[in-house]
Amino acid sequence: MTGIYVHIPYCVKKCSYCDFCSVPRDDSASLYPDALCREIELSRDRLPYEGPVPSVFFGGGTPTALPPAALIRILDTIRRTYDLLPGAEITTECNPGTAAYADFVKLRAAGFNRLSLGLQSADDRLLAAVGRIHTCDQFLTAFRAARDAGFQNINVDLMHGLPGQTQENYLETLQKVCDLEPEHISAYALILEEGTPLFEQVTAGEVSLPDEDAVADMEDAGMAYLKERGFVRYEVSNFAKPGRECRHNLIYWDDEPYLGFGVAAHSSARGKGAWLRWSNTESIPTYLKKLQKGKLPTAETLYIDKKEEMFEVIMLGLRKVKGIPRQAFLDRFGMTMEQAFPEPFLQVQYSGWWVDSPTHYALTKEGMDHLNAALCCFR
Amino acid sequence: MDQSHIRNFCIIAHIDHGKSTLADRMMELTDTVAKRDMEAQLLDSMDIERERGITIKASAVRMFYTAENGEQYMFNLIDTPGHVDFTYEVSRALKACEGAVLVVDATQGIEAQTLANVYLAIDNDLEVLPVINKIDLPSAEPERVMHEIEDVIGLPAEDSPRVSAKTGMNVEEVLAQIVERVPAPTGDPDGPTKALIFDCLYDNYKGALSYVRVFDGAIRPGMRIRSMATGHEFDVTEVGVFTPQWKTVEELTAGEVGYVAASIKSVEETKVGDTLTDVEHPATAPLPGYMKVNPMVFCGIYPADGSHYGDLQEALEKLKLNDASLSFEKETSAALGYGFRCGFLGLLHMEIITERLEREFDLDLVTTSPSVVYRVKMMSGETVIIDNPASLPDPSEIDYMEEPMVKASIMTPPDYVGPIMELCQNNRGIFEHMDYIEKDRVKILYTLPLNEIIYDFFDSLKSRSKGYASFDYELKDYQKSDLVRLDFLLNGDMCDALSTIVHKDRAYPKGRAVCEKLKDVIPRQQFEIPVQAAIGGKIIARETVKAVRKDVLAKCYGGDISRKKKLLEKQKEGKKRMRQVGTVSVPSDAFMSVLRING
Repeated sequence: MTGIYVHIPYCVKKCSYCDFCSVPRDDSASLYPDALCREIELSRDRLPYEGPVPSVFFGGGTPTALPPAALIRILDTIRRTYDLLPGAEITTECNPGTAAYADFVKLRAAGFNRLSLGLQSADDRLLAAVGRIHTCDQFLTAFRAARDAGFQNINVDLMHGLPGQTQENYLETLQKVCDLEPEHISAYALILEEGTPLFEQVTAGEVSLPDEDAVADMEDAGMAYLKERGFVRYEVSNFAKPGRECRHNLIYWDDEPYLGFGVAAHSSARGKGAWLRWSNTESIPTYLKKLQKGKLPTAETLYIDKKEEMFEVIMLGLRKVKGIPRQAFLDRFGMTMEQAFPEPFLQVQYSGWWVDSPTHYALTKEGMDHLNAALCCFR
Repeated sequence: MDQSHIRNFCIIAHIDHGKSTLADRMMELTDTVAKRDMEAQLLDSMDIERERGITIKASAVRMFYTAENGEQYMFNLIDTPGHVDFTYEVSRALKACEGAVLVVDATQGIEAQTLANVYLAIDNDLEVLPVINKIDLPSAEPERVMHEIEDVIGLPAEDSPRVSAKTGMNVEEVLAQIVERVPAPTGDPDGPTKALIFDCLYDNYKGALSYVRVFDGAIRPGMRIRSMATGHEFDVTEVGVFTPQWKTVEELTAGEVGYVAASIKSVEETKVGDTLTDVEHPATAPLPGYMKVNPMVFCGIYPADGSHYGDLQEALEKLKLNDASLSFEKETSAALGYGFRCGFLGLLHMEIITERLEREFDLDLVTTSPSVVYRVKMMSGETVIIDNPASLPDPSEIDYMEEPMVKASIMTPPDYVGPIMELCQNNRGIFEHMDYIEKDRVKILYTLPLNEIIYDFFDSLKSRSKGYASFDYELKDYQKSDLVRLDFLLNGDMCDALSTIVHKDRAYPKGRAVCEKLKDVIPRQQFEIPVQAAIGGKIIARETVKAVRKDVLAKCYGGDISRKKKLLEKQKEGKKRMRQVGTVSVPSDAFMSVLRING
């Protein structure tokens, strides 16, 4: 099984905290879908692929910054080129400021069956403060439109730790969102990334972020509230109604293969000798040029040896509340984690972070709060 | 050369008053160095010297000057270190001269440090020739400065050359005055050899070299010489001069200055101030003034990464070859592992050494709280000398303690007298005297405990006087003082590297300030960390480093796996660079930042 990711690098406007690959829509946007389709077609015989495909995910950027027809054409190309599993999860991210009912209808009809809406906060002042282009009302309208258009699997992206945000304010957002009854909520702590406008503002003292403890409080209070409302935490920052976990993201956290198409997209798959990770060029002109010449836009390939692959399985798998199935680890590597990392395993045990489970390697709530420290034991 | 045509002199000047520039011009005018080969400020050969505008090691340059009367003179310019920490080196260098050129900045006037060195020169019977420099600057006030020289030092300055070393204006006149006014040497060329070592240097090829001034007799290769203070004997392999490049000569005769290379293994064996004599025809008595210099300030120096201990040892050994006043011995600290207890002549010396270790040997260092040398009088009547807070005996066995006091002299424009006196007062200073040298310059004398000025006194003085005040100090005596050892505990474990000896009245504010600082510099860990200051067993201040609540990457998707792995790598690296104090990980630079605090 191999997941497919498609990167659409365009946004109406970049948010001040964002360090993903995204640019304003420009002339290249009209050439981009063609190039993407070309890449998908070219890749079929040149990249490692173990079918079928259980999930396709359009991310960005803002995929809906392109017209629905373009997204549909790309999806059709994927369908034609790769074998999608019947009932595969097909998601697109969507900025509430960029899609209307008619668009949702088209996307739904073309086979998209999951929508990920970026709200971040229900407080319009906070949205404006980080440069989001939409209001909470626009989000509500978009959400209802998506439902009306037939999307029965919707995720809402939220953030805490935004400048000026309080716990009360965050819980209000959660309440508003829960009242809409989405199937899935991603609740991320803001990461202040170097090189973003927000980073500059904070460094210059123009904007102040809630302190470490306030953010931790928000997070804990938010988790308690989501639990109350029937959302089960299944990963560090992800919550779902039972059975609605995001299949695509689980591919990442299970360290299963996926192919990424589009500028700056990353892929991961089993190569002949070692596990491979590779990434496409981050430059749109280079991307377009390479594909015009019929070349794949790969920029960099990493060979992941066995030990590194084991570490990656641990680093990603322990993000899941359920953790890593012992049998899966044994099957993949021919040894147990205790055998592969005897010392680190004990260090985590001494900290009291392992969940006592005969079937899984999983961390306690406290262990997940200190995931980095736990992972450092394995390096 | 005939002694009547030799002139040995040095230049005395405050930092930035133009000593090195004047020396450069002299070398140019005497064709010692071609203009195109001039590298600005040739004498200051170390990078640090050039950057800080100070001279650390003395050197000597030989020049030939043809005077107006057509006769040729040999000039030996002996360069002297310009800082208080090197007073002994300065005094030895002065001993080698008959005259001193006093350079005074026409825009600044005389500074405290210059004054100290001028008095030193006068005490050594040197003919002092004042030169007023920087007259090309618009803010120059040569008249005022001339009067200042006459009033403050009591030297006639009416005829002093007014020059611009930078442009070369009137520098010729300085050379002429040197011939005219600096006395020629008057030693006995045929007597038993007596040569004063005024500096030492280690050269990778030639080994340990001594810079000498020959007073009587001569030194030539093949001679067997003896160090009169240490008793060591050596065979002279080479004698030479600096022009300013190395240049071997056949001999150094009475009145001349140059270097002596012999079978000397380390600069330890020939010390500054010592007299070299001929083993065959030894002098009966050495030249006066030899003194063993004792370090005044001590601190522990540790590699930031414990595995670089060997590199640090090697670096210290190399520096010591060049700098006999540096002392070091092995030391261990519970917090910092293996390192060295190092002794320095003073604060600047300490800074220069640590900077050279980091820069020239590419080491990352942790230095512990500097300490002075305390005298501990025990109940048993015994006196214990300590330079490390960790070795302070049990307080119940101590009768009383004494600490070194210095006589500090500060020169400042009158506007800053208030803030400066406040600073001295805050540092337990005892006011001694104040003089209006002239209407816009005041000299203030204070007696200060040395342990108060080894932290940030100099920086505070500069900031309180907007950089105008200058400062000089000399060791005065030891005084009984109410001292305590202030310890710091992290999660209940004492951190020996942070212990410091302070006056009882200063313990509380200092304890509080350091705890606050530690709270900021120690990263949050998986548990709460009490940070405490204690005297004996008594806790006097406390802060808490709260436990880390969340140490997890919020988002980790397909695209950023390699990047997130790098983040973890960085976190892990950071951890490796930390020192373990009991259960607590402390970043190496935390030790340094705490040292900058003088509560």
